[in-house]
Amino acid sequence: MQAFDQIQELWQKHEVEVKVSADEMLQQAKKEVNGLKLKSALNILGMLASFIAIAALWIFFHFESWTTHVGIVIFLVAILSSTIVLYRDHRLISKSDFTVHPKDFINSLKTYQLNRYSLYNGMYWLYTTALSLGFIFTFIEILPNLSYIQRIFAVGITIVWMLFCSTILRKAVMSREKERIALLIEKFERISGQISTPE
Amino acid sequence: MEQKDKLFKEIFDSNSKKIFHLCYGYTGDTDAANDLLQETFLKVWQNLDKFRNKSLISTWIYRIAVNTCLTYLRSEKRQAKDELTDNIIENKIEEFSEKNEQVALLYKCISKLEENDRLIITMVLDELPYHEIADISGISEGNLRVKIHRIKQKLTELYSQYASV
Repeated sequence: MQAFDQIQELWQKHEVEVKVSADEMLQQAKKEVNGLKLKSALNILGMLASFIAIAALWIFFHFESWTTHVGIVIFLVAILSSTIVLYRDHRLISKSDFTVHPKDFINSLKTYQLNRYSLYNGMYWLYTTALSLGFIFTFIEILPNLSYIQRIFAVGITIVWMLFCSTILRKAVMSREKERIALLIEKFERISGQISTPE
Repeated sequence: MEQKDKLFKEIFDSNSKKIFHLCYGYTGDTDAANDLLQETFLKVWQNLDKFRNKSLISTWIYRIAVNTCLTYLRSEKRQAKDELTDNIIENKIEEFSEKNEQVALLYKCISKLEENDRLIITMVLDELPYHEIADISGISEGNLRVKIHRIKQKLTELYSQYASV
């Protein structure tokens, strides 16, 4: 292995230069961690703000028809459930790091991706259906109080919104999720193939 | 908090060079190696509170670095790793030609190895103890010795082969 010793000597003689200093790295680490947390927290806060706004509408406005109350309850339940899912995801992402615990990651990855996929599909339809139902129920009381033009506008916007969610938005989100899962599969294959394969 | 910052800086100063060398050996590219180095230390910062002194901190950091390298994702923005490494090494050879052809050749040979083998041999070249490499890569020490022997042979063969061209 004299040849290898020469290679080793060559390797050790080759000086590498780290472009980033400890201070810069520390600043960047703090910035990225905080940025990630902030983005996730803002997402959750946005959902909570919608929840509070609709709850305030329910508390401070007087609605006569029971259908409006049902509609608002559906809105609140849908938003709250989505917020809980977002919060769970947020905790999951911030808690687990596969590069620190690769074995745990390998064990849970397949289950995780299946869960995510079915949960996401289920949640998507549930959320869209719930919001659409909420609109229908609230419209029963609200629409008669609007002018003819306003009625057409409100119903039109709602139909366009529902169509948009079930076609363009759904496809875009699904394809993003599909890509994400494909990346997870690739990670899984690469890691399990290279770390866990018995010699 | 200040104590954590101080500890992080100490850890970075004493480990960054070796980790960079590992990433450089894996990618053959300084920019990609810098990205991987930063990603590794970002994870070190995020998980510093969870480190329980069950192993050496350097082993722990190496493990994070190795797994960060292995999970370095291919995306549309990022070319396939093998392609990337080959292209970069080819270009590097021209850059190095006058300065240090042998070093460029060594990186080219390392890039021809399997991804995991690249990381293992880099740690061997940096003289990490075998038990530590075994701990980092999750392979038993016995298997690791056999594997290292095989990688050393392959690297030497590749090096002689390219050197004689």
